[in-house]
Amino acid sequence: MKLTRREFAVGMTTAIASMTLPRLAAAQSPLVVPTYGGLWAKFWEEKLLPGLTAATGIQPQLDVGLGKDFVAKIRAGGGRSPYSIFMGNENIAAVLRAEGFFEPFDLAKVPNAAKTFPQFVNKDAKGIRAIVSPIGLAYRTDLVKTAPTSWHDLWDNPEFKGKTGLYQIGNTGAVLFLRLVAELFGSGPDDFDTAFAKIKELLPFTQASWSGEVATALIRGDAIIAPVDWTEIMTLQDKGAPVAIVAPKEGVLAFEQSFNLVATGAEKDAAHAYLNYILDAKVQQDMAKAFYTSPSNSESSVDDAMKARTPIVGPRMAEIKSYDWDSYVDKAADIADRWNREMA
Amino acid sequence: MSAVEAAPRVDSRGNRGSAAWMVVPALVLLIGFFALPYLTIITMSLREASTRAVYGDGFTLAHYTTALGDFYIWGILGRTLLIGATVTVISLLLGYPVAYHLAKSRSRWTSLLYIFVLSPLLVGLVVRTFAWMIILSNNGVANQALKAAGLIDFPLQLMNNSLGVTIALTHVFLPFIILPLLGNLQAISPDLAMASRSLGASRMRTFWKVTLPLSMPGIQAGTILVFVLSISAYVTPAMLGGTGGRTMSVLVVQYLVDNFRWPAGAALAIIMAAVAVIFVGLYLRLTARAMRRLP
Repeated sequence: MKLTRREFAVGMTTAIASMTLPRLAAAQSPLVVPTYGGLWAKFWEEKLLPGLTAATGIQPQLDVGLGKDFVAKIRAGGGRSPYSIFMGNENIAAVLRAEGFFEPFDLAKVPNAAKTFPQFVNKDAKGIRAIVSPIGLAYRTDLVKTAPTSWHDLWDNPEFKGKTGLYQIGNTGAVLFLRLVAELFGSGPDDFDTAFAKIKELLPFTQASWSGEVATALIRGDAIIAPVDWTEIMTLQDKGAPVAIVAPKEGVLAFEQSFNLVATGAEKDAAHAYLNYILDAKVQQDMAKAFYTSPSNSESSVDDAMKARTPIVGPRMAEIKSYDWDSYVDKAADIADRWNREMA
Repeated sequence: MSAVEAAPRVDSRGNRGSAAWMVVPALVLLIGFFALPYLTIITMSLREASTRAVYGDGFTLAHYTTALGDFYIWGILGRTLLIGATVTVISLLLGYPVAYHLAKSRSRWTSLLYIFVLSPLLVGLVVRTFAWMIILSNNGVANQALKAAGLIDFPLQLMNNSLGVTIALTHVFLPFIILPLLGNLQAISPDLAMASRSLGASRMRTFWKVTLPLSMPGIQAGTILVFVLSISAYVTPAMLGGTGGRTMSVLVVQYLVDNFRWPAGAALAIIMAAVAVIFVGLYLRLTARAMRRLP
């Protein structure tokens, strides 16, 4: 096959352009901000990003997905991450941290970090858990006679036998619950053998992939009690569903959205400014109003109306059980595998 | 070769072979969307595992040997194939009469029937599966109806197992067997059935000896399509299968997305693809042989 000079010139121009344009596009790309769908994306689009632009002049680009999608994109990006800042549950962030994708924040560029409850700032500024959604025990008010007060009620109250809903192991909620049970019944949050044995006592239970599915199981009555986040239950209550949620006396769990600086990102200054804005007292307060998170900024104003609906705020943030995930990373795959085989 | 035949292959400067460029788009498509992705997955499946990097430095066959020596994975593979086969058979049994009716119908309502056939595809997959959750759950419509009719005292387990997945997949993939069958049945000349009847064959005998054999290409295409789509389906098994109806696709996604085990997940994906190719190849051979024996 022979090429004419014109064909060769067109082919080469196209090839060079296709190789160069993505680099140019990347060089000019703004800060890409990952967030979740639903209420979160709505809040980011309508309030958070316009506010960020007004406060800092940064005009970010929104990317809606799941924490695990963001992980895949950063991993697949190799030396050139599409994000400069990552948001995802702390146990998922720990995976990328262990793989060397993150670097510590420069806290001088994040003044609001000093106002954040200290338990949410990781050691050496390797991640800040900026958005906190506590997880309590939710139950059907019309189907449960004795409201739960303790995590032990899942085992001790016969009403709940065969009527419990749990997250499946792919969800952070299940991993948190596993570590809680290990702590409650075993020698500590890493006593997984005890945790597995105790959770198996709850079988059969409904397993759900995400909070919305837990909520659906509660509404259908397939489950009458389940560990789930306040956001989900408050949203159901707003729709008139007969559900309530309590903070067990031993403490609560929480989906902690960990923000991390991506080492291979191109917009690190903008990433710091974005995190600082997220941690702002007023922004945290607005988030709590929009989707019932608990403000991580100790200076956020918390009125009685908010406290009545989301009680884990202010000093009660100390009731949140936060776990260290660095060593868990090495066991995560085996534990997930074990759950899949044993919790059927 | 005559001058006339050669003319289109020679441009104004006398260069031959410009027509070869026409192959390029197909080649690019094949390489870009088939060969390269498969090559990437195969390479990934041979990488060593690591919890401190996306994958380790070396190469290994360990992910394949571990998976192939694991009865749990064999069980899930078997369940996946069984669900695929069941959905295919039920879809054929339900779809054939519909396709036959549509092919023969002269009614002005036929277009409405087409819409009914296509209706499962007009709603988003997640929405469709969610609707099945509402119907099949322990307190769902089906169990409530059975209870109200006095047929059961305790709810039947209609989801979180293979049954729920099979029901929902059959609903979703029914059009994929009806449409190829319909095209095939419409292409069969009505004269053949008339000739059979005129020679004294009953309607049933005509169907068994004339129509059914001639519709074998449509059956073959439709069943392969439904089988392959069923064994590779993800959303429906993920939402309705629970732990009791977990399929290979769900397991692969768990490995890749939930557990971040790219090499092991890639190995499972390749095993699944290889098994699918073997089964489809065997089926094609069997059906081709059966078709050759047709009168």
